Amino acid sequence: MKSSWWKILGVALLLYAFIFGLLMPLKPGIYAVTPDNAITGTTSLIRVEGYNTNFTKEAESIKVWLKLNDTFALMANKIQVIDDMALNASFDIPVQLPIKKRIKNFTLVMDHKVDGASVSPSAVTLTQKADKVDNISPQWTTNPIAGLTIVNKFNFPFRNILYETIRNLYFHVSLWLAMMILFIASVVMSFKHLRSGKPEDDWKSLSLTAAGTLMGFLGLFTGMIWAQYTWGSFWPKNEVKLNMTAVALLIYLAYFVLRGSLENQEQRGRISAVYNIFAFAALIPLLYVVPRLTSSLHPGSGGNSTFGSEDLDNTMRAVFYPAVIGWTLLGVWMGSIMYRAIALKDKILSR
Amino acid sequence: MKKRVLNFLIIMTLFVPSLMAQVERTDFMRSIGKIYVVVAVILTIFTGIILFLIYLDRKISRLEKQIEKNG
Amino acid sequence: MNLISEITFLLRKELTIELRQKYAIGGILLYVFSTIFIIYMSFNRIDKQTWNALFWIVVLFASVNAVAKSFVQESGNRQLYYYMLVNPSAIILSKIIYNVILLLLLSLLSFFAFSVVAENPVRNMGQFLSALFLGSMGLSIAITFVSAIAAKANNSSTLMAILSFPLVIPILLLLIKISSNAMGLMSDTAIRKDILSLLAIDCLLIAMAFVLFPFLWKD
Repeated sequence: MKSSWWKILGVALLLYAFIFGLLMPLKPGIYAVTPDNAITGTTSLIRVEGYNTNFTKEAESIKVWLKLNDTFALMANKIQVIDDMALNASFDIPVQLPIKKRIKNFTLVMDHKVDGASVSPSAVTLTQKADKVDNISPQWTTNPIAGLTIVNKFNFPFRNILYETIRNLYFHVSLWLAMMILFIASVVMSFKHLRSGKPEDDWKSLSLTAAGTLMGFLGLFTGMIWAQYTWGSFWPKNEVKLNMTAVALLIYLAYFVLRGSLENQEQRGRISAVYNIFAFAALIPLLYVVPRLTSSLHPGSGGNSTFGSEDLDNTMRAVFYPAVIGWTLLGVWMGSIMYRAIALKDKILSR
Repeated sequence: MKKRVLNFLIIMTLFVPSLMAQVERTDFMRSIGKIYVVVAVILTIFTGIILFLIYLDRKISRLEKQIEKNG
Repeated sequence: MNLISEITFLLRKELTIELRQKYAIGGILLYVFSTIFIIYMSFNRIDKQTWNALFWIVVLFASVNAVAKSFVQESGNRQLYYYMLVNPSAIILSKIIYNVILLLLLSLLSFFAFSVVAENPVRNMGQFLSALFLGSMGLSIAITFVSAIAAKANNSSTLMAILSFPLVIPILLLLIKISSNAMGLMSDTAIRKDILSLLAIDCLLIAMAFVLFPFLWKD
């Protein structure tokens, strides 16, 4: 029991990650805006569907704007709350748009005392049918966006397209980090084996690699599921991180093939340790240099980001890092059981 | 055992295209803020861990048999 | 003997063996030319993208064919003899230097043949040649080392492919990117960074090979 404190710690951290990662609600946000277009010079009724919102509480404090930029924004003149999750906002849209274009996307901004401010970018397209009138209507500037409420609650950020799947951060992304940590530990064990020549170190390295590879495959599969519902494809084309990962897993599968093809135990340990270290060296550019050079759907490379480091807010960090440690410890636990089985087998065979 | 695996595979091949065909916003996986995607991810991880357990179980059973035979 | 004289000695030995067994280098040359001939026959006009992909595929397979034999061809007895004579670092360095030169010649040759058969789409020759140089260096280092590993295992040729292809993919991806930039298929201002990272990969691989080879060589 004394030496298994880290197993308990790992399970506790994972439990914490599961409980908080799954139960903590998302911040209120705008889920849908219908219709997504309107014609100027009319009064149009726009239905805003919220997510985790409480429209019925302090309903009179809700304000809705259609925002073009910092200068021009049109406030809804009447808001009719249907229930907690939906409201109708009616806009008296002036005949002329405050820009030269006839068609323009407007961002919908909502403010609520209870839920705080939320934004839905490019929510409504306004089309100007009528010809040009000389002056821009003062309606665009009379009610500027001001006094937005900021609510400080422990919540996960609400992001369009991602919605609840932002929680996958604790399961998909942290699996990757755990895999990398396990592989690094396995390389350390390989070094140790080369220095000492003890078969135990080789078995440790093998077990850690096996656990890491399992984590890698799980990361790949979970990533594929997530990608299908975020980017619309299980295997997004030209997605460099995905392809690099597949190559990395191939390298580690080759490691197992190499082990299988060597008979002599002493030789197997040494050669697979050498390959392990060499493969890891080749893996560094694969996982860190190449993805950074090309554009990718993943955050942190090429500009396109679902959430980069600036988006990973503190609430998420508080669950993410424990989750990484938890998954790593779970991997070490799995590896240690495998190691014990290998050691036992060796004991039986050498009897 | 083999038959069951075969059945499972057939069911999977029937189901997966129908799952992929649903791309509308209101399908099951996309309902309630896509929470079922998180469920699917967790189930995948669970399956992976169970498969690893089965692998270890078989390995250790073999060892037990060897001990019985030798000991 | 110090390291440098050992390396020159071993290089001379490699060259002697290569010249004695003319069929080996002849086979690789034949492979390169027949592949290029097939490409010439099957394409009416090769666009730049295809040119790029085909060129690097030809170089990759030529390098695997040329470099793979470097450790496999030597019998255990001869290896034991070397082991007694020289130190292992000299062996791996000499093999790597030899293979880099061989592969550089091969890839220059295939570049020449490609430009004769299809036209030469390269706009920025300096960039392309540096990619060619660093690329053949990286490929031959990785494949030489893997061939040393595979030589220790029994079924070498299959293992060779399994072990080496995933390892060289990052190098190839960088190469394709740099050369497509050199052809004007895409314009990237940060291409110098790519070339530098290719150089870094080469250095990393050569350092790893240098450190790890003595352990492989032990028995």
